[in-house]
Amino acid sequence: MLASINRKLGLLLFIVAAVYLYLSFQLPNYEYAPIDADVIPKGLGILLLVLSVFLFFSRVAETDAEKAKRNIPKKELGVIAAVFAMIFVYILLFETIGFIITTALFIFFCSWFLGYRAWKTNILVSLLFPIVMYAIFVFALGIVLPRGILPF
Amino acid sequence: MDAFQGLMTGFQVALSLEGIMFVLIGVVVGTLIGMMPGLGPISAIAIMIPITYGMDPAPALVMMAGVYYGAVFGGSTSSILLNAPGISGTVATAFDGYPMAQQGKAGKALAIAAISSFVGGTVSVVMLMLLAPALSSVAISFGPPAYFALMFMGLTAISSLSEGSTIKAMIAAVAGFMVVTIGIDPQTGTQRFTFGNVNLFDGFDFLIIALGLFAVAEVCMLILNRKNRSLSDDQKLGSLKLSKADLKEMSGPVSRQSFVGFLLGVLPGAGATIASFISYIFEKRIAKNPEEFGKGSVKGLAAPESSNNAATSGAFVPLLSLGIPGSGTTAVMLGAFLVLGVQPGPLLMTDRPEIFWGIIASMYLGNVFLLILNLPLIPYLAKILSIPRPLLISLVIMFSLIGVYSISFNVFDLYMLLVFGALGFAMRIFSFPAPPFILAFILGGMMEQAFRQSMTISNGSLSIFVDSPLPLSLLLVALVSLLVPAFLKWRSNRLAYKQR
Repeated sequence: MLASINRKLGLLLFIVAAVYLYLSFQLPNYEYAPIDADVIPKGLGILLLVLSVFLFFSRVAETDAEKAKRNIPKKELGVIAAVFAMIFVYILLFETIGFIITTALFIFFCSWFLGYRAWKTNILVSLLFPIVMYAIFVFALGIVLPRGILPF
Repeated sequence: MDAFQGLMTGFQVALSLEGIMFVLIGVVVGTLIGMMPGLGPISAIAIMIPITYGMDPAPALVMMAGVYYGAVFGGSTSSILLNAPGISGTVATAFDGYPMAQQGKAGKALAIAAISSFVGGTVSVVMLMLLAPALSSVAISFGPPAYFALMFMGLTAISSLSEGSTIKAMIAAVAGFMVVTIGIDPQTGTQRFTFGNVNLFDGFDFLIIALGLFAVAEVCMLILNRKNRSLSDDQKLGSLKLSKADLKEMSGPVSRQSFVGFLLGVLPGAGATIASFISYIFEKRIAKNPEEFGKGSVKGLAAPESSNNAATSGAFVPLLSLGIPGSGTTAVMLGAFLVLGVQPGPLLMTDRPEIFWGIIASMYLGNVFLLILNLPLIPYLAKILSIPRPLLISLVIMFSLIGVYSISFNVFDLYMLLVFGALGFAMRIFSFPAPPFILAFILGGMMEQAFRQSMTISNGSLSIFVDSPLPLSLLLVALVSLLVPAFLKWRSNRLAYKQR
């Protein structure tokens, strides 16, 4: 029954729409607003519900190009997941350790991880980029980036 | 203020030292980001937005406009040299540009692209200058029902014109609208879908969505393609000189497709990508020797290049005069306006003439800069294509994170950037188009407001949308634009199904 990808996606979107619609019906009402805050969300929820049913039952076959796009080797997905994990760690440490150090480490390790082996250039870019950006944002634009453990 | 006087005001902004500087920064950055295969104009604009904080709106927006048309201009370079379109608007450029480059005439192809782009851009600015003020003065009398109908039409148009499944495009649009309902409702103060989380009270900033759905998702695609070749150092461009015969051959397609591109740019939902394809097919149909197309034809290169740049300026017509973007990219441009506290729309021309006319006047200047950048300087600029992919990926991630952090100084938003990045990547894998999502996200709040205003005026009756001719006809156009392509697709699928 869930043979085609559109069926799976249709089912997933149906659940999303149902949850959204349920939450829309929980919204409080006010007597004096002619159109209350829940009207548009309810409409959107119903619309998505209908569209997900359409998607579920659509007989349009996937084109080869679309199939090829979906067909990503597991290893490559792992690479993307690893980059996301690196970004996650970066965000975690960003405010405590500070912009310059975390950014330098991120650029170096992320580029190295993705297969950049010219380590001299890599170190140079990893150091210059955060320092230049920090200078532009903090001194020229007046946008304060976290200083962290560095004294300036 | 008449148009001439207005334009003089505009040139005062554009030709001031500050103006010239920011036009130049805008077009250079736009060209460079546009050249990078995989990074489109939406990412380019979104990445540049933080730079404009605290700037004067006029020079800031002149710069942002420069980033936009600069990206479309620059996208052709990688289409020609690498057969890897820099942006989706230059996919058709590669059809004849890349074969030409393979024949050792890369320089000639770049020159044709640059000149066609310049003419397309400039012709289109002239028409923008004539059409935008006229439309502004008409639009000033539009009430909330007409505005709601216009925005609705924009969304249906972008859904039905998107590549691939119309249902998926509509789902993307509805999802974008749903995301904008998160937060405190501005009219009643009701908390919607916030789950009591303080970080969600103000909803999501559009920059999180734009950078996540485009820049971060594009980075994911770059990671998948990181082993594709970048420009090798020994690639020869060849001479940039064009013969008189070449120029003569270009003149027909360029002059025709500049107008076609402009018109398609003005219409909601179309934009540079569709314009370039239509122009390519148009010229192929009327050409005496259509078999040359795809093998390095001068006409086949000139047509999409003049058209996509003309469409870019054309897209400014609804944005400046109605305040309603018609495409994903102009939706993000609208975001750039709003960040600076400028509300585009029919009042912009009278209230902020220096911005309205400044942007238009700066486009003349910007196109001249782009011609200079893309002709004599192109061999040097093309060097940016040899940046190693891993390094490029890390830097774009950093630009996105800094961009989001500098609007809110809130780490929660950075996590959300990651979430929307993952969503954008999933949408790309499963062939859901992202432009309808961002357009719906930007238009959603305005649409809800216009809808509720209309309903308040009519005391809760939907008849307000069909009682007057303008909203009614706009809604009918919207309906037709959805149903006709859907019906045609359904019929062809049914035929295919029966034959099986």
